[in-house]
Amino acid sequence: MPFDPNFIRRLLPALLEGAEITIELSVLTIAICLVWGLLVALANATRGPLAWLAAAYIQIVRNTPLLIQMYLVYFGLGFAGLPLSGFMCGLLALCLQNGGYVAEIYRGGLQSVSARQYESGRALGMRRWTLYRVVVLPQVIARVIPPLANQGISIIKDTSQVAAIAVMDIMKVAQIWVESSANTYDVFLTVGLIYLSLTTIVSFGARFAERRLAFVA
Amino acid sequence: MRTFAPLIHGYWYLLRGAGMTLLMAGASVVPATLLGMLFALGQIFGGRISRAAIVTYIFVVRGIPLLVLLTFVYYLLPLTGIDLPPFWGVVLVMACYYAAFMAEVFRAGILSLPQAQWDAARGLGMNRRQMLWIVIFPQAFRLAAPPFVNLCANLIKATSLVSVVGLWELTMASREIVERTLAPFQIFIGAAFLYFCMCFALSRYGKYLEGRVLAGH
Repeated sequence: MPFDPNFIRRLLPALLEGAEITIELSVLTIAICLVWGLLVALANATRGPLAWLAAAYIQIVRNTPLLIQMYLVYFGLGFAGLPLSGFMCGLLALCLQNGGYVAEIYRGGLQSVSARQYESGRALGMRRWTLYRVVVLPQVIARVIPPLANQGISIIKDTSQVAAIAVMDIMKVAQIWVESSANTYDVFLTVGLIYLSLTTIVSFGARFAERRLAFVA
Repeated sequence: MRTFAPLIHGYWYLLRGAGMTLLMAGASVVPATLLGMLFALGQIFGGRISRAAIVTYIFVVRGIPLLVLLTFVYYLLPLTGIDLPPFWGVVLVMACYYAAFMAEVFRAGILSLPQAQWDAARGLGMNRRQMLWIVIFPQAFRLAAPPFVNLCANLIKATSLVSVVGLWELTMASREIVERTLAPFQIFIGAAFLYFCMCFALSRYGKYLEGRVLAGH
């Protein structure tokens, strides 16, 4: 029977437990990628072998599927004698892939500030740090927040793939419940709503951050 | 050399998997593009109701992981009694999912044309149909081409998810070989390399198109 409130009442606690894993993975991935992506973008902006390495990293992680990266980390590390938990493997793969995307977002943000902005700041006698704080960063932040929010949404959705390496996130819990109850509609309706509310929170948060952070020195 | 023996033995199987991946991506991209264009036009020129329906559709699809939808349809199809081969079921889901992203790409392409283009077309006495086909579409498609190509690369990567619901393509093929040879590192790196070749070629092409668009302005 689809849309059975009693069934959903029993299902919800299990799904919310899965949602906890999903949220943990998402928050950790987003937090790590914000920093890791910046490091990669900065490395990419230097001249020399470091930049080459960063560029290669970005291209490789962006052009291969997350699922393959997860398998590579999960099964590969296990065979190499470094077995990590499914959660850690999933987190590692998520950060590897999304770090590449975030680095590209930062690069685009930095490049979008024209050279004239730097020149005018210097002409006004600003020191390097003041120049960045007052002129460059506010513009970069304003341009970087919308694509970062999209990436955050994409990260939340990507976390569902850890179900493939046996992590008990919402997706995996849903699969188990569907197989044991055959109540496909209810399970997937609830799962869809949970994901939708998580991604909506991120996009509202981003809109709030945009209003607060952009153009504030 | 010995360590890569499993990969050398399995390369033909992997290549066939890559062919299947391309076939699946190709079969999905055509309806996704058409549907996406339709959504974009409906969103720009449609009435209140069709616009609200399309906005809701895009909002829902963009907030839910593809894996959830694929799994949903995988469990749903046998229940509904629709006799659809799994391949076409997957193509249907991929097409509906990516149509939402395509719609955004085309909408941005059309809306980023300056108002002067519309005014000039109207000034020449064109009716709406001539305006769209002669003035707007050719330019809008050129603007939308780079993100469109990137989205195609994204779609190729996303086909790896169908292995989770048991369809045979590159990721499934690599998992099968790993189960036989117990050489996850070599095989998954081989699979990642094949994905990389397909997606990197596309993203290079996207970059090239982007350069041409920028040069045109």
